Amino acid sequence: MPESLGLSILGFFQRGFAAVGGFVSDSVTSISELRKLRANYQEVTSKLERFTNIERGLADLREENKRLKEQLGYSKDIVYRRIAARIIAKDPENLYSTITIDKGVGDGIRKNMAVIAFQEGLEGLVGRVVEVGRGTSKIVPLYDSKSFVASRLASGTRTEGLVGGLGAPGDPLLMRFVKKRTKDEVQFGDLVVTTGFDSTYPADVAVGRIRKVRELEYQTSIDIELDPVMDFSRIEYVFVIRPEGPQEDTR
Amino acid sequence: MIRSVLFSTLLLLLCSFAQSTWFGAIAIFGVIPDIGLLVLIWVSYINGRIEGPLSGFLSGFAEDFISASPLGFHAFIKTAISASASLLHGTFYIDKLLLPIALGFSGTIAKALAAGILFLLFGSKIHTYSLIDSPLWIESAYNAILAPPIFILLSPLRRFLVTERGRR
Repeated sequence: MPESLGLSILGFFQRGFAAVGGFVSDSVTSISELRKLRANYQEVTSKLERFTNIERGLADLREENKRLKEQLGYSKDIVYRRIAARIIAKDPENLYSTITIDKGVGDGIRKNMAVIAFQEGLEGLVGRVVEVGRGTSKIVPLYDSKSFVASRLASGTRTEGLVGGLGAPGDPLLMRFVKKRTKDEVQFGDLVVTTGFDSTYPADVAVGRIRKVRELEYQTSIDIELDPVMDFSRIEYVFVIRPEGPQEDTR
Repeated sequence: MIRSVLFSTLLLLLCSFAQSTWFGAIAIFGVIPDIGLLVLIWVSYINGRIEGPLSGFLSGFAEDFISASPLGFHAFIKTAISASASLLHGTFYIDKLLLPIALGFSGTIAKALAAGILFLLFGSKIHTYSLIDSPLWIESAYNAILAPPIFILLSPLRRFLVTERGRR
């Protein structure tokens, strides 16, 4: 409770500092942005045409998916609400790796909610909320050395393990406790996603891609190094995932 | 004394806010400089006695709220560093280059040592620097380079940050 109160008060000033910084950096970059925007507009227009066609096909697939789920008895899914937030600050020192966002308890954010972001068309895990103030919240990112996520390979054997960070945003993630017998089945570049077994993280959110397999003779499991799917230095906006409870699948 | 502690704490808080919001833009390999540490060392070294440690404790305690560190982590580290710097009060003449560089570098190492002590006492909840990893040495070098200009910038603020006794 005292920590939430402190975060609420100091977070207010942090928001002010972030707003000033944002204004200055936006003003400086706006000229070059305009040039980029013109090129992007052309690109987006042509993409839009393609996506309109894809959407038609997608509507059919959704309908088919719904029918099949009903037949299999999976008609009730947990629906997640996404609360969009902007990163306004990071830890004031280098030892800890806190990320502060501009949404708090008033926006429906609670402790231990998962945080995701979109980068290059991929939905990836960012971390989890550890402290909530009135208008700001603290997130511990995935690369923090105290962060652990139950994960599995997205395809093939669906091998499970526990992914943890090594402390710095540039460091690889480490997937531990992976069964040794699956060593020959894991491949460089394979995607690792969340299992959804714990109550914090939803299932099938991308965590990282396999970079290297570490094997020690005396260990019964192997360690897998992963490249995080998120480039943490470039994330500006995130989504806090709020479970809304089981609901009828209306997608 | 109260005026010095208040202004120092306020300045240290502003440094914390700036470090958390703006300094990502000047990070080297993801490592940001700790100008709050440099301000604290300067205030403690010039004032001596209690003003530095008191400002260090108050600003460190506030910093704990915006960091993922356990409550009291930064408060302890900043109090320990400022107490050490206070002990050096009047020992050396503070020039424009060499002593600031030495204080900036050694202050960062002292910060790592203080974090190491907390790690030994409280274990895995405490993050600490590794002597063989680059962040500690990058931050030490960064702080050492920034110390001379920061100390020069602080000189005009003496009347707010330094007590009568310290100015003599």
